[in-house]
Amino acid sequence: MNDPHITSAFDRDLEAIQALVMKMGGLVEVAILDGAKSLETRDVELARKVEAGDKAIDGLEMRINEEATRAIALRGPVAEDLRVILTVLKLAASLERVGDYAKNMAKRTSVLAELGSIQGTESALRRMAREVQLMLKDMLDAYIQRDVTLAQDVRNRDLDVDQMYNALFREFLTFMMEDPRNITACMHLHFIAKNVERMGDLVTNMAEQVIYLVTGEMPEEGRAKDDRTPYMTALD
Amino acid sequence: MDDLRLVERDVDTQDIKIAARKVQVFYGDTHAIRDVDVDILDKTVTAFIGPSGCGKSTFLRCLNRMNDTIDVARVEGDIHLDGEDIYDAKVDPVQLRAKVGMVFQKPNPFPKSIYDNVAYGPKIHGLAKNKAELDEIVETALRRAALWDEAKDRLDEPGTGLSGGQQQRLCIARAVATEPEVLLMDEPCSALDPIATAQVEELIDELRQNYAVVIVTHSMQQAARVSQKTAFFHLGYLVEYDETGKIFTNPEDSRTESYISGKIG
Repeated sequence: MNDPHITSAFDRDLEAIQALVMKMGGLVEVAILDGAKSLETRDVELARKVEAGDKAIDGLEMRINEEATRAIALRGPVAEDLRVILTVLKLAASLERVGDYAKNMAKRTSVLAELGSIQGTESALRRMAREVQLMLKDMLDAYIQRDVTLAQDVRNRDLDVDQMYNALFREFLTFMMEDPRNITACMHLHFIAKNVERMGDLVTNMAEQVIYLVTGEMPEEGRAKDDRTPYMTALD
Repeated sequence: MDDLRLVERDVDTQDIKIAARKVQVFYGDTHAIRDVDVDILDKTVTAFIGPSGCGKSTFLRCLNRMNDTIDVARVEGDIHLDGEDIYDAKVDPVQLRAKVGMVFQKPNPFPKSIYDNVAYGPKIHGLAKNKAELDEIVETALRRAALWDEAKDRLDEPGTGLSGGQQQRLCIARAVATEPEVLLMDEPCSALDPIATAQVEELIDELRQNYAVVIVTHSMQQAARVSQKTAFFHLGYLVEYDETGKIFTNPEDSRTESYISGKIG
């Protein structure tokens, strides 16, 4: 944000929009952590809170969209200002998706609370969610500090999330083969794992958007990915 | 991917129409233009932008030797039009200006009829053998300037009786009547309302089919709308010259960035 604008109201607008994105990001982080916590501790009340909290996240996305539209219409942003506006729009859309996945996790918690625990997998899911939340936190820091190195680091860490998902996928498969009575819980837990893996992908996209914001170019070189589940079978 | 492009934004040709090298302009002791190197492409709209006093209009006026009319002005360096030095002693500035036409900030029609305004250039350059040919030149020029429909029934009325936007299009018709190869425009829309501005901008885009157009503008939006290449001038230097889309999304130089986004740089 180096130099201020001659029209200081434009700076205030841009800062206000970016503050909304940070606020939204903060709410999504909490939703991920609380959703995973409610899952592991079978805390239905906390799960309800996460579900209800999604409204605020959706509301912020709408606010950000409105403010960004206004800035485009009134200020005609160019160069970095334009990239800031494009970036807040993309971040808000992605954060909203991540928030939805967190809400979905909380919804399934209510069902899973009635079922027995699938040993160890809930805490593994919580570790995975914690990893994604840390990626999200670092992505937001990279965004506000315009830190490309940190954004690149976030982008590379998606590999860890993919690997955690691969391991969980195998475990669920094993539990379901061992005892068909595990199937209901494992199906729900697998959806949660898949959703957390998707959160990681969305955070990665957001980190790439931050790189675009700072450099003006999307990163081209491939990053490490390791979701092998499309090729996995029960015989593996 | 090419067929998915919404609008043809790229420069269609890479043919260099005007090549300027190490151009310096002095007004007395003031060094107004410093070491400007630029290649103006044919069939392309090139926008010159920059703060007041940055030298963009001065440089524009070098391209058809309008600075010759200012006693204290001195131009150094090379400017070639189609490979020929326009400052060569053999070059007649009047002939040059027929090839490199100009449209100014304020519409300045001659105090004559609409017809005579457009016919004046072709007449003095002897482009028409008879009245019929002259009529045809006038009609073509007025059509090119998108003024024919509005003016065809009042060709004998004074040009000064037209509205501001029409007057400016009349000046453009006058400039294109001599079949120029390059059209220089010094803030052609600054005295026009948004509708007239849009008409002139549409016209500039059409003129690009036949000419190299160079436009000086204070409106960033206008530069972004009409040009394919943009040059940013600052304190007499050409700071950055690139594809317009690049300049307005991701300029290389921080001075360009500050200027186009209205920052205190």
